[in-house]
Amino acid sequence: MYLAIREIRFSKARYTLIATIMVLVACLVLFVTGLAQGLAYDNAASIKNMAATHFVLEQHAEHRLTRSQLDQNQFEEAGLIVGIENAEPLGVRVTTVSPSVDSSKIDVTLLAVNPQGWLAPAITEGSPLSDQLIGHVLVDDKLSDVGVKLGTILVDQASGIRWTVNGFVKNESFSHTPAVFLNQQDWLSLQVQTAAHEGNESADHPSYNAIAIKTANENVQKLQAALSHTEVIKKSEAVSAIPGYKEEQGSLMMMIVFLFVISAFVLAVFFYVITLQKTSQFGILKAMGARTAYLVRSVALQVLILSISSLVISVLLVQLFEIVLPSSLPFQLGFTTLAITCLSFVIMSLAGSLFSVWKVARIDALDAIGRTAA
Amino acid sequence: MRNRLELQEITRTFEDGGTQRTILNQLSLEVAEGELVAVMGPSGSGKSTFLSIAGALLEPTSGHVLLDGESIGGKSKQERSEIRLRKIGFIFQSANLIPYLKVEEQLMLVAMLAEMDKAKALKRVRELLDKIGLSHRRKAYPEKLSGGERQRVAIARALMNDPAVLFADEPTASLDAARGLDVVSMIAKQVKDQGASAVMVTHDDRVLQLCDRVLYLENGKLNRQA
Repeated sequence: MYLAIREIRFSKARYTLIATIMVLVACLVLFVTGLAQGLAYDNAASIKNMAATHFVLEQHAEHRLTRSQLDQNQFEEAGLIVGIENAEPLGVRVTTVSPSVDSSKIDVTLLAVNPQGWLAPAITEGSPLSDQLIGHVLVDDKLSDVGVKLGTILVDQASGIRWTVNGFVKNESFSHTPAVFLNQQDWLSLQVQTAAHEGNESADHPSYNAIAIKTANENVQKLQAALSHTEVIKKSEAVSAIPGYKEEQGSLMMMIVFLFVISAFVLAVFFYVITLQKTSQFGILKAMGARTAYLVRSVALQVLILSISSLVISVLLVQLFEIVLPSSLPFQLGFTTLAITCLSFVIMSLAGSLFSVWKVARIDALDAIGRTAA
Repeated sequence: MRNRLELQEITRTFEDGGTQRTILNQLSLEVAEGELVAVMGPSGSGKSTFLSIAGALLEPTSGHVLLDGESIGGKSKQERSEIRLRKIGFIFQSANLIPYLKVEEQLMLVAMLAEMDKAKALKRVRELLDKIGLSHRRKAYPEKLSGGERQRVAIARALMNDPAVLFADEPTASLDAARGLDVVSMIAKQVKDQGASAVMVTHDDRVLQLCDRVLYLENGKLNRQA
């Protein structure tokens, strides 16, 4: 304590330089982490928001909601096993709509849910979904940026069906496209339309993409056994199978890991060089009777002071940054993520100082005798 | 007069390329309270080894080192570190002060390491700085001090823990004649005042007049004559 603080006070320039590097690296770590989180949420918000624990998908759908197709019977069977109140059908379809007022086109994801079920989203404006209101949908409030209002009519490009915007929801998206929620009647008529469009025999029975399940892990096996040609996957598996999700998160994750390693090495080199420079000084201190543990603590404390103070500055900077950022940029840095990131940063810094600690421990007090220069 | 430092038949051998080299051979020495002993000898005669063993930095191959009548043999590294902290003071060549500590902090560091009572430590720091005549420089960093001033601070630092024995390793090596005399007379005076024993390794003839005894290290033994 005594030595660590006084040395930093004495060699201000040296420690300021290294702290600056640390601040820059920590800022980048926090920023990329926030971006990764923001993108992850933006990509999969609707699925993440769902209260489901598992999803039942068709067997060869490779965990992709959009590829899977299940029918009413499978839904009913699933309901028998986990309880009818714990299973909800879900329809997912990526499509393109254009507001009737102009000719602009918007990619959206249609999510068909049971208005009374637990997949129905909370609205921020307008009125909720209901079985009675045919042709009325809820849309994500990002659509209001392109001029969509309550009462705007959206025309589906594929089927030509028209929906009226009856309410807004917040933070609902799938594969980076805003979500549009519709009830099961509209989902069915969409299927009938599309089938007719494509010349298939008309779909009398509604089909879904997935069944959302709320259940404990032990029921999953039973469910899997009972439903043939299906696969029961965890919610997180469904999320990472969203197109682009894994790739996006993977590359950002790689950047974060590299930054952590870089910061550890920068600190390691800095402290190693400083320690080498001070070899005779440590020898003197040991000869005077300073314990190795005391000197090691002193080095560790300097690392802690550097990493924690640069983290504090970085967190403030990033928060400032967050205020200035445009709201369209997906950036999300929750308290837990922030805490975990900061903690990993400190741990990596300490790991970086291990090399110096090892060096300090090996310095012999004997070096102090017969030396001419400090 | 009691002997604060006693070396009994110290032998130290080194393994050197398959052959055994005896650096110290049955060396014995007694240093009384208040006595300053100078040890001279050509380079390679084993002065550093002698100082390291007497100063609890190195274990002898055989023989005993007694501080205040108590043997320091067979102790662990940590215990020896503790002995150096409480019983021994070192003055190194060219002072070797810690560059980032102010003069008074150089002394306070010893108090901190020895977990001395803070008020008592502060009082002792003031006393010692007074004695070496550097009270006005107590807020200065070592880089601002002259060579002689630095060595005086080193003396005060070595005395801070009120040691039984003071070891000085060529304390005048980097000083001119006048400063060298200054420094050694200060060591001699402080040793008398504090009632410590002191051993100074030197090859500076000019300061021998200030020492109570002069010994020559030759063939692993200490002799009265060169």
